[in-house]
Amino acid sequence: MPQVTEEAAKRAEEIKNEANEHFKKQQYERAIELYTAAIELDDNTAIYYGNRSLAYLRTECFGYALEDASKALELDKSYIKGYYRRASAYMSLGKFKLALKDYETVTKTRPNDRDARLKFQECQKVVKMIMFQKAIAVEENTKTVAQSIDLRSMVIEDDYEGPRLEEGMVTENFMLELMEHYKAQKKLHRRYAYKILLDIKKQLMKLPTLVDVPIPDGAKFTVCGDIHGQFYDLMNIFKLNGLPSTTNPYLFNGDFVDRGSFSVECIYVLFGFKLLYPDHFFMSRGNHESVTMNQMYGFQGEVKAKYTAQMAELFTEVYNWLPLAHCLNNRVLVMHGGLFSTDDVTLDDIRKTERNRQPPETGIMCELLWSDPMPGKGRAPSKRGVGIQFGSDITWNFLEKNNLEYIIRSHEVKSEGYEVTHGGNCITVFSAPNYCDSMGNRGAFITMTGGDLKPKFTTYEAVPHPPVKPMAYANSILSLFS
Amino acid sequence: MFRRNDVDSVGSDEAVIATNDDASSCKRCAVALGYWKDRYINYFVKATDRKAPEINRGYFARTVTIKILVDKFIEVTNGNCQIVNIGAGFDTLYWRLVEEGKSVKGFVEFDFPGVTSRKCLYIQRTKQLLQAVSDEDYDVKLNRNNLHGHTYKLTGVDLRNLTEVEAKVKESDLQPDLPTLFLAECVLVYMPLQKSAQLLRWIADRFKSALFINYEMVNLGDRFGEVMLNNLRTRGCDLAGADACQTTETQRKRFLENGWAGADSCDMVGIWSRLPPEEVARVSQIELLDEQELLRQLFAHYAFTTAWTDHRWSEVTL
Repeated sequence: MPQVTEEAAKRAEEIKNEANEHFKKQQYERAIELYTAAIELDDNTAIYYGNRSLAYLRTECFGYALEDASKALELDKSYIKGYYRRASAYMSLGKFKLALKDYETVTKTRPNDRDARLKFQECQKVVKMIMFQKAIAVEENTKTVAQSIDLRSMVIEDDYEGPRLEEGMVTENFMLELMEHYKAQKKLHRRYAYKILLDIKKQLMKLPTLVDVPIPDGAKFTVCGDIHGQFYDLMNIFKLNGLPSTTNPYLFNGDFVDRGSFSVECIYVLFGFKLLYPDHFFMSRGNHESVTMNQMYGFQGEVKAKYTAQMAELFTEVYNWLPLAHCLNNRVLVMHGGLFSTDDVTLDDIRKTERNRQPPETGIMCELLWSDPMPGKGRAPSKRGVGIQFGSDITWNFLEKNNLEYIIRSHEVKSEGYEVTHGGNCITVFSAPNYCDSMGNRGAFITMTGGDLKPKFTTYEAVPHPPVKPMAYANSILSLFS
Repeated sequence: MFRRNDVDSVGSDEAVIATNDDASSCKRCAVALGYWKDRYINYFVKATDRKAPEINRGYFARTVTIKILVDKFIEVTNGNCQIVNIGAGFDTLYWRLVEEGKSVKGFVEFDFPGVTSRKCLYIQRTKQLLQAVSDEDYDVKLNRNNLHGHTYKLTGVDLRNLTEVEAKVKESDLQPDLPTLFLAECVLVYMPLQKSAQLLRWIADRFKSALFINYEMVNLGDRFGEVMLNNLRTRGCDLAGADACQTTETQRKRFLENGWAGADSCDMVGIWSRLPPEEVARVSQIELLDEQELLRQLFAHYAFTTAWTDHRWSEVTL
């Protein structure tokens, strides 16, 4: 590598100073130009890369910012600002654990730096919120978001015309009004929204991880798959199949939110019915009931836009308590994703799984939410990078071992809304038609009667919705840290 | 089905022009996340909402494939070639090539005057862009819709008007006997079939050493294709050339039937499997994709078609 001449170094320094001037005036593009010119003369000075990295952060070029910060640190491991820059870039790219490492490095090198400590703590908060850990909910010393909600401070304005809970309770009237209110694209008052979430959390906390659902002989039961924020299609399901009631029970099998831009409406209707008919309305967790998914695919953005960031955090707590599977009449097992990477999993193993956490990257909880069936036999790594693919023999063995007849799962879009595989032992049901306004698929739901539990399929096309496109709220992760 | 009257077709030109703004902001979004390097796109389009991961990967696949093919063409011709970008929009290929020290004998961009006038403006007022089209011995000539540098030329033209195209090609100093790469990224589909056929035939007639790279929709006959067509129609984009986009075969045929010696067509599912595996692995890590089927469907409905009038260029593949 050619040595940088003294002359070149001097000139580079001058150019860098000029660049800094432009940076101060927020002329970031010009500053980037000049930093680049300085680097061309002298590619050995960490500060040039560090400064350019910051300019890239300001112009939201997080990929470049990351590259430059890394290069700066390569040249000079003690260049503290480099760690800051890189951490910012990581934050913006959603790589929170890596950001935390860099902030940690800074706090270790500069134990008295208040700003460094603040940034580290902020980052830690984010990481704690979304990283996979064994969060034990009923820990005396950690205050949950639920505990910090004060409903009394949320006054209902005089001009609020929306539905109201009756003495804090969901009633049939409330649900009917809520659905009409939502169809007209109106908002539920936050006081009622928060009340629903707090009540739902309490209810879900009492449920086992595997919920046993009894279906009396001859009684109807409906299983729906992914809804993904497609509220108008959800209303259509109720139109086709009747509203939920004690004689028309439903199980929704996860992925209620994200991608579709009416996720808030969907989740409150579903939670509302759950509160109204606790023993006739069931909800299973999907992989999209998690922080990383909600951040990327729009739910978090939608909650923040329609309500507050605090509510988004409360949703995280609530989702952590959703059961992971349902067993119908001890014969049909229903989960969002699929089966397991080991042969000896029993229903008891599922029951014993600690679920109050973000889905981990391996193990029973992960696989319940992420796995996919595949043709053929045996297992294969998942195309998604999480969970596994399982063949027909895996399904057969699992059913035999646990005395079951078949499994129902969701998680994958199907052109007809459903698919029967593994000789009828594994059924996929997906209820979001024309997924993302682009797939053109039909949606489907399964109905069955207690007794034979034979699945019947109803499929349907998408219905029109107001012109809010999918992922409308999935903005770029706001860089609070640059 | 009623034929649109003239008022409507002016409206749909605007919608077609809007696809450039859309594609450019999608590209900018992907670049910002690190999918590929492009230091120039920011000069042409502002940052907008983050797009879904499958969209970003789709744009990556298309951009990187074009780059690989263009690089190969420049290499096998030793730079003794021309590149013509039809419906170029705010494409930054020229500047990326200059940055990499890859020179060609001529680089011409064609698009609607409504687009080229804006591109001219952005180039004029941005030093980095202007620098790359300037030459010591050659003054950059410009007017409202056109910019003529020594190598780089930007020209406003209506591609459906063959007489205009002929005149502009002449004005751009393109040498018909030099190996010439023609690039069209979602362009032909917006032209009525006979117009695009006419254009392709004319090019094959005039340029005896041509290679055409056409990227656009394919397999429009199925549900996904139907929904795509509908979505575009609601935005005012009538895919007048949709018939050529029925299969990869129809894409090949439209070249073979218009004077091109050979043609090859491959959908993006196939292209994706042929991209350098380290690159695919790298971009797959940038964002977690929650539903693979979305990407697969996207890929199954876009294709690259290459066609040549000179058999040597049949070797320019991934």
